[in-house]
Amino acid sequence: MSELKGRDALEPSGEDNVADSASLERGYRRLLAWYPRAFRRENEEEILAVLMACAQDGQTRPSLEAAVDLLKGAMRMRLRPRAGQPRTVFAAVRLMWAGAAAELAALITVVVTAGGVRSAVVHSHQAAAGAVMTHVVIDEVGMPLLIGIWLFLAWAMSQGRDAARFGFTSFFLLITMGLIVAQAQGSAVYAPADLIAGAAAWLFALAAMALIFVPASNRYYRQQAAPVIHPAG
Amino acid sequence: MQEATFLILTALAAGTQHGYGIISDVAEISGGRVKLLAGTLYTALDRLRADGLIGVDREEIVDNRLRRYYRLTPAGEERLTAEAARLHAHATAALRRLKLNLAGGVA
Repeated sequence: MSELKGRDALEPSGEDNVADSASLERGYRRLLAWYPRAFRRENEEEILAVLMACAQDGQTRPSLEAAVDLLKGAMRMRLRPRAGQPRTVFAAVRLMWAGAAAELAALITVVVTAGGVRSAVVHSHQAAAGAVMTHVVIDEVGMPLLIGIWLFLAWAMSQGRDAARFGFTSFFLLITMGLIVAQAQGSAVYAPADLIAGAAAWLFALAAMALIFVPASNRYYRQQAAPVIHPAG
Repeated sequence: MQEATFLILTALAAGTQHGYGIISDVAEISGGRVKLLAGTLYTALDRLRADGLIGVDREEIVDNRLRRYYRLTPAGEERLTAEAARLHAHATAALRRLKLNLAGGVA
């Protein structure tokens, strides 16, 4: 106790302490930002209180050990189903992320190879050049939008919104049609990577479709749609 | 059950505790060997709450900061009792066999 007092007396000023702890708190908040939003809403202020209580005098940055532990915790929380969420819904949401990743891979392929495709098409398939270039432009513009829709639906689905299931059904029909049209236009010839990624995304969507309409998922979405009465305390 | 989980439940067995209290109590129970960090503690608390083994007893604001007290639920008491009995049985078996071996070695 007396040692603590002695150290306090040696501190140059109270203002430095305040600045130190504000900087430390900012550091912790940056790490806590990696946690899922629902978890942060529930726990962020409390965890921060514990972290600040554990801090050393004059500490301005989170220790490496604490930072690694917080990031590991964030990863665990993101890989864990939400409370009451059945495994089927959890798996469907992961598949939607995989779908977004497949589209992203396709987008990167298209952007990287667009130049090559342009010159190859102009040389060998004069007649198809217009259609192919239209396809490339549609991909470059449309795919970020598509990725956005995948992520939005995954988010809405994990929130337990029943409307998301019908949104996803419509989306599934849309990409199924897109795939058939692309096939009919012979995109397998000039954009195989694009088609493979599209097919992979479609398979993920098919599996997700099956998972969100099994009985366990139906129960969950019905329950989420009904008003929940929280017991007091 | 993981060791950290077991120690957190043990820390709550005697009464309600807040987060920082659990960290110091776990350090004391384990003889300073287990130092819980905040990320580990709160992911474990989140899981235990979801499983209904612990609950929030009350919340206080101390120095402008939220302090939440946790308590063991009846289901949590049951799980901890079962787990402690299991560990105890294993430890007893280990000690008994070691003693038999020692006796055999001496004879």
